[in-house]
Amino acid sequence: MLLVPCPNCGPRNSTDLRYGGESHARPDPNTASPAEWRAYLYLRDNPAGWLRENWYCASGCRRWFSIERNTATNEFRDPPLPGDKRGGAA
Amino acid sequence: MTMSRQGVQPTEVIDRAAKLRFRWNGKRFSGFEGDTIASALAASGEQIFSRSMKYHRPRGILTADYWDPNLMVQVGDDPNVRAGHRLLESGMDVRSQNAWPSLNRDIKAANSLFGRFLTAGFYYKTFMRPQWLWPTYERVLATFAPGGKIDLDTPHAYHDKRYTHPDVVVAGAGPAGIEAALAASGEGASVLLVSHEHAVGGHLRYSSDAADQAALAELRAALDASDVEVLTDSTVTGRYEDNWLGIVQRNHPIAVERLIKARAKTLVAAPGLIERPYVFEGNDRPGVITSGAARRLANLWGVKPGERAVVFSANADGDAAAADLERVGTEIAAVIDGRTGGRISSTSGSSRAVDAVVADGASIDADLLVVAAGWTAPTSLLNMAGDRPVYDPAAARFFPSDPPSNVLATGGLAGDADLDGLRQHGAATGRLAAARAAAVRHRLQSRTARALPVDGDEPAWAPDERVPLGRDPHPELYRADTHGMVDMSEDISSKDLVAAAHEGYDSVELAKRYTTATMGPSQGKLETVNTVAAIAEARGETISQVGTTVWRPPYAPLTLGALAGRMFEPVRVSPIHPWHEANNVSIIQAGQWLRPDHYGDPAAEVRNVRENVGLIDVTPLGKLDLRGPDVPKLLSLLYVNKWMKLGVGRVRYGMMCAEDGVVLDDGVTGRLGEDHYMMSTTSSGAGGVWEWVENWLQTERPDWQVHVTPVTTAYASINVAGPKSRELMSRVCEGVDLDAEAFPYMTVREATVAGVAGCFMWRIGFTGELSFELHVPAGHGLHVWEALMDSGSDLGVGPFGLEAQRIMRLEKGHFIVGQDTDGLTLGPSTGLGSLIKLDKDDFAGKPELAWAADRSLPMVVAIQPDDPDVVPEEAAQIVRGDTNEILGRITSSRYSPTLNRSICLGQVEPDLAAGGTKVTVLLESGERIGATVIDHHAHFDPAGERLRG
Amino acid sequence: MAEAASPQNSAPQSPAFESPVVRSYPAMRAGDLTLSDESAVTKWLVRAGADGPAADLLGAPFGTSRAVAGGALVLGSRPGEWIVLGTAGEVAATVADLAGCEEQEFCSALDWTHGRAMFRVTGTSAARMLEKVCGLDWSDHMTPEGAVVSASVALVTCDIARNDRDGVRSYLIFCDRSFGQYLFDALIDAGNEFGLSVAAASHSHSAD
Repeated sequence: MLLVPCPNCGPRNSTDLRYGGESHARPDPNTASPAEWRAYLYLRDNPAGWLRENWYCASGCRRWFSIERNTATNEFRDPPLPGDKRGGAA
Repeated sequence: MTMSRQGVQPTEVIDRAAKLRFRWNGKRFSGFEGDTIASALAASGEQIFSRSMKYHRPRGILTADYWDPNLMVQVGDDPNVRAGHRLLESGMDVRSQNAWPSLNRDIKAANSLFGRFLTAGFYYKTFMRPQWLWPTYERVLATFAPGGKIDLDTPHAYHDKRYTHPDVVVAGAGPAGIEAALAASGEGASVLLVSHEHAVGGHLRYSSDAADQAALAELRAALDASDVEVLTDSTVTGRYEDNWLGIVQRNHPIAVERLIKARAKTLVAAPGLIERPYVFEGNDRPGVITSGAARRLANLWGVKPGERAVVFSANADGDAAAADLERVGTEIAAVIDGRTGGRISSTSGSSRAVDAVVADGASIDADLLVVAAGWTAPTSLLNMAGDRPVYDPAAARFFPSDPPSNVLATGGLAGDADLDGLRQHGAATGRLAAARAAAVRHRLQSRTARALPVDGDEPAWAPDERVPLGRDPHPELYRADTHGMVDMSEDISSKDLVAAAHEGYDSVELAKRYTTATMGPSQGKLETVNTVAAIAEARGETISQVGTTVWRPPYAPLTLGALAGRMFEPVRVSPIHPWHEANNVSIIQAGQWLRPDHYGDPAAEVRNVRENVGLIDVTPLGKLDLRGPDVPKLLSLLYVNKWMKLGVGRVRYGMMCAEDGVVLDDGVTGRLGEDHYMMSTTSSGAGGVWEWVENWLQTERPDWQVHVTPVTTAYASINVAGPKSRELMSRVCEGVDLDAEAFPYMTVREATVAGVAGCFMWRIGFTGELSFELHVPAGHGLHVWEALMDSGSDLGVGPFGLEAQRIMRLEKGHFIVGQDTDGLTLGPSTGLGSLIKLDKDDFAGKPELAWAADRSLPMVVAIQPDDPDVVPEEAAQIVRGDTNEILGRITSSRYSPTLNRSICLGQVEPDLAAGGTKVTVLLESGERIGATVIDHHAHFDPAGERLRG
Repeated sequence: MAEAASPQNSAPQSPAFESPVVRSYPAMRAGDLTLSDESAVTKWLVRAGADGPAADLLGAPFGTSRAVAGGALVLGSRPGEWIVLGTAGEVAATVADLAGCEEQEFCSALDWTHGRAMFRVTGTSAARMLEKVCGLDWSDHMTPEGAVVSASVALVTCDIARNDRDGVRSYLIFCDRSFGQYLFDALIDAGNEFGLSVAAASHSHSAD
């Protein structure tokens, strides 16, 4: 199970957190076009690589935070715990 | 082949003073403490332990350990027990599986005559057509399946679960693994050493070599004196992200199995090597065993495996087996040396036993053939860590390639050496594991606020400076010049694999799935490399070119009970729960809450509320305490309606929509003080709304001054409903004027109730009656409920449950989010579109709701069936006339004891939403009934006069 | 603090406080590991900036705890959140000390006594017992004396404070009151193999 580095609690099991998905800015609700608003609602980049995403530390500090994770290796730019990720030993 | 117990062996693990009696297929047998089921049976001369899966061929001991595919038995109500591993216990009722009517006379052995139907991929070729016969095929196939019998009456056994966070986990307790554990512990690491076997020692346990035994004694003494936590008869079943490990402990004193979830800072994989069977004609005949089986039988349990043996040896273990056999009295007819070109081709004899071995072209009389043809590296844990092991033809096995640096291999998995060399490599691995674990520990500790402060910088990631183990040359022995069984669990021969390759299934991953080779109880530990070799041969390529399948969790099969562990099923109850239980309640579980559904007669409960006064426990109603100057802004942002001017003491209904405009939750919020509000949510939405609020405050409006506290269970919530509710409340309340003018509908007041200060109540009601929703500090909830019951007996006060409330709210046409709305129901569809204030600057879902305002939407409407006695099922479709065109559905339906007729809420297409519209409802029975959409959502008291009373 | 005068501010008084633990347990000889129901202890929740004047006064940053001079125990339960527990008088004194802060920053306090069940587990095997119901690391270096942490215990989100008694490992466990009976029984189940016994509430809360 992935260890997610909560900035308040320290590394926690991913089951302690709620995954909030890709970070995306909320468009201005008064000027957004339907296409922009629905992109905010539904469209995600979903890259194989570095991604800024949101987590909610549900069982811990109950704080939302955002962090970069490499979706291909599960490495966090925190930096990661040493050694777990292939090629990530340093 | 006749096995029998011999004299005392210096290495034996049995206690000959402790005789254990048990039954095998109904007959009495005995063995000794320390025997496995298989060793006890073998010592008693049993040769046949099971019948093979497809052809029902008699099968005997092959490896005499956990992985032996032929030793699956039923013990009492416990199916698929590994007789090669499970220790004998007194009174065991052991039975063979997959044999009918008996092990010795198996009628299905006739399958061998029909073998052509059971060839490679037979699952996909036979029993397919015609499709309507499949149920019959399924029954037939089920009788052939090799599993044991499941007893549905078996009581639930206590399975256990534990978490642990050791610095180092060592998987495997051979000499290298033990040394790794000792060395890591010596460096100050906390170490968990996990042994798959019943005792630590690995291959030293069944070695008769004096130096090996001395080393074993020394290692055990060192372990006893160390801080290493040792688990025996336990398996590291899986390795997951960040060294999260699943470990199953099978010998825990308080539980049949214990699942341990370990977060290891470093993992040392030291599983040793597994002896590989050899493929040749007759290789599954009882009497053909591995060299390891011969040595375990002779040295651990003092069993002579046969009278006259041929030993096919390609390594030192084969040579040692020959010596061990001689010592227990087996005559060695011949040793065929696989290193110098000696070859075996086949066995002959009856289906029940070997009587001759063809080797180097000659037939040799023997009842036992011992095979030492090579080793399989069980790289499973490395595979699970992402490594792709690489084949070395010179050593005839796979080796680790590039595992992540917090997973270290040692022992036979990593290479070959003499005992001292293995121990040194193990110790060096343990030191490296401890050093790297220290760096991880430093990192974890320094980043965790609550942890002890750490001194100094994080230690550098220790470089791997271990002297690598060597690789002993070994002949590549996979198949002789004849064909034989590759997978004994699944009855797959090398011929089947060649056929599969020729049919085009020549990738090992395809051939595996097509033939089911490696998919039986041994999970490839014995079969994988021989399968790869057979495919390579058929393709005319090398094993390196073909590659191997990826080993996935679990390392060894495990029970569903072990995975389930102790089941945690949290339930929540209100402080009034003991009263409900004492008063004939019928409980319904709603989410995690145990709630009163009714107290015998929901219709009578409805009538009592409409006529007198009733109490319902609504404690699960979500409650969020909101404080701060910016609460009105927060409410305006989350609800679709306006909140900036709610006065102190006032309560307002609000609807929340998500950013896609879909209804999320609803409820009332009251203003208790200048900067103090109480928000109520639906019972099921309480947790979700809290997170929703926190999300907005933390991520979108962090500058707003609002403190949110969930107080759902800080209060017992009681709705006092009915025309006599004011009278009842007046008898228990102090400090509040309950008069309709002083305390009107949609207001909130504080009060002391039945001597309990700090209660608040709002005048709202889901039932449509005059009602007071009372919120009592939870530690006095039961007291207040009882006081209300006692005070109102002359008023006819009685409890009512969820069912009565559901009926009454349906009579009033109040929709329930999630029941009458769904994941596509936009705010205006509820009929409360007028609540949505698009002139607000911003609120959740505003753009979607603005766009929806211009569209025709499906609507929630109240519907009455034309026949008042017919109650359509919830989810019954509303259709167009006699067609099956769906125009809507019934979302709620009940028989109203107040109106004496059936009543419904439903969602319909926009053009059916006007009052008076006739619709057709298709019942589950297929019958179509007429129904009419009515003007208001409320079937009863649409003007709301009772409520405001 | 102004918000202290909320409807919820009813300290346990007459009538008697009803605990969420309503089952009775056989009298047991107090063994090495004991579990007690301390739900009646007064507990307040204080909210303020994580590093403002109130935080300075309370002196228990997130993840730590502190016994304050007035006798109450302050737990830094979340960034900017504190649980203050003790007798009604002790807690009131600590909350009153914060009155001056609200002019300098946005802060609030509410009586959470009725909202949270509180149990105490004491014994040398208390950490081993918690390992059976919670995935956190209970070793001395990760959760030393005084540590405060939130985590799932038997699938219920709890606040847990290490609060040793006379040098013996001890934990305070808080959960939503409605889960109280369930969690109490789950802890008993987890403690069985260590000879857990149910002890009478001590209503004591702070170390030294």
